Amino acid sequence: MGRLGFAVLAAAGVTAAFLAGPPAAAQAPARAPAARDGWKQEFEELCAKTQDAMALDSEELRSLVSRCDKLKPAIDGLAESERKVYAKRLAGCRNLYAYVLESREAGQGR
Amino acid sequence: MRRRSTGDAGLRPTAPSLAAALAVAFAGAVAAPARAWSPVPPADQGRVVLETFTSKARMPPVQFDHWRHRARHTCRLCHVDVGFAMTAGETRVSAATNQGGFHCGACHDGKATWRGKPIFAACGDRAKGEEEGRCTRCHARGDAEQRRKDFEAFAADLPRRGVGGDVDWEEAELKGLVRPADFVEGVSIARKALRMDKDVAIRSQGWMSDVLFSHKKHAAWNGCEVCHPDIFPNQKGEARRTMLQISSGEACGACHGKVAFGLGECQRCHVKPVR
Repeated sequence: MGRLGFAVLAAAGVTAAFLAGPPAAAQAPARAPAARDGWKQEFEELCAKTQDAMALDSEELRSLVSRCDKLKPAIDGLAESERKVYAKRLAGCRNLYAYVLESREAGQGR
Repeated sequence: MRRRSTGDAGLRPTAPSLAAALAVAFAGAVAAPARAWSPVPPADQGRVVLETFTSKARMPPVQFDHWRHRARHTCRLCHVDVGFAMTAGETRVSAATNQGGFHCGACHDGKATWRGKPIFAACGDRAKGEEEGRCTRCHARGDAEQRRKDFEAFAADLPRRGVGGDVDWEEAELKGLVRPADFVEGVSIARKALRMDKDVAIRSQGWMSDVLFSHKKHAAWNGCEVCHPDIFPNQKGEARRTMLQISSGEACGACHGKVAFGLGECQRCHVKPVR
């Protein structure tokens, strides 16, 4: 292959790479790292405490429920696939905290 | 999936009706094959057919067998972290969610491994040729005989109990024969192990002995949010259910009789001495 052929091939390669856009790894992945998405960091902090729900005091439970409610609009604004999963997960955490809180308050009322 | 009712704790049968029921049951035990006592054969227990979007995509429905997965993962991992609902049709799993790394795609991404082998990727774009074989691993028409053979091979080394030959998952885990994972990188959130060993006594309304519910046994695989508040929304002392409701899939029946031991194994829950 002569120099001209090599130059044509190289130009074609550069053009194809440009048209294809950034490599897959550089594109926003479906599960972006928590640090890049504020909502995800907040989600992880909120849902990391479900195992301890029974040990949390009522004030903390109220705060968690409130933070879940505040986070919901951000989750609702995600792309469909992500929204399906994280809306359900957030609701699971929120409802558990609310359940423990109500259960405690009902117990105190008896 | 529904199972026959095995009785109703809220009813007090009269002596003649109880005697008649026992006579019929005894006659059935003698005349019928052992499997008849287990309404759903173990290979078919916990079978879920996913078809919300498949017909639009001109694909056969997905036939999901819980037993293929539950030896490897806790219930909590899939029903909380991965986001699979406990009610049919609520998850809205689709090829798009799988390809995005959600639902089945959280593990079935062609990269994650199981025993050193990559787990096949769920849902590709218009798979052709040898890739078509990958589609039919989930989108299958459902060969009952093949499923039974697969189950028997899978369960060959697992403890079985009851006349139906159900897998005793609790025993299998105690013996270290199954080690369900509870964490998927990039999906699960790191958190402390759950410490919940409070037993709950549930007074039987009928002729059966009282139930002693072990939080410890259930929390090991389920976490809190699998059951509360969706399946058990009631507060303490309000969680009364009849066996009729349970056999219809409410409360304990959300899992027992489908993916956990059946309602015929009375003595496994009704453990307290008769009053």
